Amino acid sequence: MSKNYRILDLIRRNRSPLENHLIDGLVDGRISRRDFIRHGSLLGLSLPLLGGITTAAGLGGMPSLARAQGAPGATIRVGSSVPAATIDPVTIADAGGLLILQQVAEFLCVDGPDLVLKPALAESWKPNDNGTVWTFKLRKGVKFHSGGEMKADDVVASIDRLADPANSSNALSVFTGILQKGATKKVDDYTVEFHLDAPNGNFPYMVSSDNYNAVIIPASYKGDYEKSFDGTGPFKIEKYTAKVGASFVRNEDYWGEKALPERTEFTFFADMQPQILALQGGQIDIINQMPVLAGVALLNDPSVDIISLKSVAHQQLHLRCDSDPFKDPRVRRAIALSIDRDKLVAGLMKGRASAGNDSPFAPAYPSTDTSVPQRKQDIAQAKQLMEAAGAGKGFKVTLTTERYLEIPEYAQLIQNWVKEIGIELELNILDQGAYYGDAVFGKSNWLDSVMGITDYGHRGVPNVYLAAPLKSDGTWNAAHFKNKDYDTLANSYIAALDLEAQKADAGKIQKLLLEETPVIFGYFYDYLTATAKGVAGVQPTAMSQLFLEKASKA
Amino acid sequence: MLSFFARRVSLSLVTLFLLSIMVFLGGQVLPGNVGRAILGPFADQRAVDALNHTLGVDRPLLTQYATWIWNFIRGDMGTSYIFRSPVAPFVIDALGNSMKLAAVAFVLVVPIGILGGVIAALNLNRPLDRIISLGGLSVTVLPEFVTGIILILIFGVWLRWLPISAAWPKNAGFFTQLYYLILPSVPLFLVLFGYIARMARSGMIEALDSDYTRTAVLKGLPWRTVIWRHVLRNALLPTITVIATQTGYLIGGLVVIETLFRYQGIGSLIFTAARGKDFPMLESGILTIGIVYAVATLIADFLYSVLNPRIRLGSDQ
Repeated sequence: MSKNYRILDLIRRNRSPLENHLIDGLVDGRISRRDFIRHGSLLGLSLPLLGGITTAAGLGGMPSLARAQGAPGATIRVGSSVPAATIDPVTIADAGGLLILQQVAEFLCVDGPDLVLKPALAESWKPNDNGTVWTFKLRKGVKFHSGGEMKADDVVASIDRLADPANSSNALSVFTGILQKGATKKVDDYTVEFHLDAPNGNFPYMVSSDNYNAVIIPASYKGDYEKSFDGTGPFKIEKYTAKVGASFVRNEDYWGEKALPERTEFTFFADMQPQILALQGGQIDIINQMPVLAGVALLNDPSVDIISLKSVAHQQLHLRCDSDPFKDPRVRRAIALSIDRDKLVAGLMKGRASAGNDSPFAPAYPSTDTSVPQRKQDIAQAKQLMEAAGAGKGFKVTLTTERYLEIPEYAQLIQNWVKEIGIELELNILDQGAYYGDAVFGKSNWLDSVMGITDYGHRGVPNVYLAAPLKSDGTWNAAHFKNKDYDTLANSYIAALDLEAQKADAGKIQKLLLEETPVIFGYFYDYLTATAKGVAGVQPTAMSQLFLEKASKA
Repeated sequence: MLSFFARRVSLSLVTLFLLSIMVFLGGQVLPGNVGRAILGPFADQRAVDALNHTLGVDRPLLTQYATWIWNFIRGDMGTSYIFRSPVAPFVIDALGNSMKLAAVAFVLVVPIGILGGVIAALNLNRPLDRIISLGGLSVTVLPEFVTGIILILIFGVWLRWLPISAAWPKNAGFFTQLYYLILPSVPLFLVLFGYIARMARSGMIEALDSDYTRTAVLKGLPWRTVIWRHVLRNALLPTITVIATQTGYLIGGLVVIETLFRYQGIGSLIFTAARGKDFPMLESGILTIGIVYAVATLIADFLYSVLNPRIRLGSDQ
């Protein structure tokens, strides 16, 4: 297909320099179509406009967003983990709880399955020149279930509540150093500005479904969310019973297309095995989140469909850089080189993962520099590095970790691999509570151990992974990695608004982390949702959210 | 008789008091803290501190214990840290559910177990005895999650005859509830059958071999009368104690079955409370089980002393 420069010029006319630079990148072939759409959505360009640009650039339009509509009126039954605490938008922190919250309440924008940001309660957004102020335009005519219209005051109150350290907000760690209480300002009833502490090129993700606390609820909220379950979503609460389940009914006053299902039912399970049996026994239609090892029985079950999303969730293996035996980066690299990532992906994760390259830049991120070579198992080189570092005779060390998902099996595989380069690994596998401890330095096996494996959930952008576990002052810096060059690069990446600038920083960070290897990123695992055959239109996200408004049953 | 029971009751109260202290201290040594457990490892420390302050867990331990136990004695189980609502309805509901499941299992296992033991003893060293004894022993050692999953697979997934979840629909009547309790009660039956049958069998063997049985037989009493009047009454004494001690297990220790069958019993309530460091729920739940256990033991003691006056008289001396 040829490029239509006349239309491209017309589109360019009303765009900011930043947006035009992105368009140029697409037209000149420096940026792929997929990366263009993802980054364009981050800058607030609408999906139809993005589609128009890709068509004019001769790369085809957007894939049709319209799904085949199923029959309306079904009751969709979902199995989920038990919410770990009371459902409260401010404090909620677990997959089971945020799944229920997200059924009734909505975000300004949604980080979709393909990491493309889609408008929800916000219609559009854009940054100022340096990315310190982001302006969001709100959708008009959106009603809360309790009746009032959602306006800027509600957005300001919802976000301020989360940024306030006095509120036990679980989103505080997302907003620290980015957005303070009082920095969310109403411009008019349908316009909100976020004044950031520092430039941030990925800010819209912080107020999207990527930050699961950031749902918009009425400004008047005073706590006791379980009494109202007030929100703007396509479903309204019917009944919630702690520890047992919840049910929802269609919201006839919804601002968008009305939901297809008449009702949805959520059943809570304390364990995965009964959930799998319930799906096989026909008592539920969907398992929201299924870890691959626990769900092996379903992967090849002809009566079950698996929705597989590329996520960037991973298990970080940290090596303490400030003390022996991992003080020398050559020893850290030797460990990384002993790991067989192909076997991790194919064997441990049954092919439902992507190999990691010892940086948070997963293949799924548009800013990842794919020209950086993938690290592969190389025992000979690993042995040479051990010799060069004066550790040729090997040593004994303890790997401390948590009993969670496939981590114990992962630890055993590492134990076998490092044996080949003379390292004797003793495994100390703890209950999750014991591993995390108080989660502050000096009182946590996680942050104090010489070597450990920690689970990290999915994020639509790598900002959190770049800062908290790797920056010198990072609050989750279990590797005790302190490197000024890295800090400068990470700050530069976080501030960059332009995709090509982000890519350039990403490449440098990837190379630096391969050299230093404070943390080994072995693989990024896929997010799996299991549905009974005949259930269609289910849309999960890798953040454990589940959008059911287009769901139907055959 | 009265002083015997007064002594038993006061001993139970002391035990419960000690249990309350142990549970409280045990809860405190669990790693991590409440705010961290609720907000997760990745929450900002300021948020965790704020939540701990709101919940009152940053107060001195003695104050926390005194407040909790004083309120408990007055019938107030406190407010759940996790659910931010009163603990009592959770504990009462869960205890009621556990009792229902225990009752179904008991109604099945006690008569069948005793009958099995009696038949085995009357057929001592014959094939029937071996089948009951060895069969009972074999099913007793099968873990509940193994039998539970096998039953679910057969009756729930393949045949689809029985619901695989024990959580019955709201407003379910007696028979519907019973229907939902069939599958979860079978693994409990299997675990307890061998135990009760074995106790009944050994009690029977001992009674059959005793002088009073021999005397009764020599007196020329019909065999049936000997068994009913002389043997069974004495043989079942140890079985009663076993049944009483199993009450505690059935009410409080069914975490595996409750998790597998998604049943809202007190075992799973306590388990989730411990995981979430929900101390008011954990402490009140365990103390409640302690009370149930103490009451069951008292009832067993009472029955035992009624059936066997030597116990009562001996303890009075």
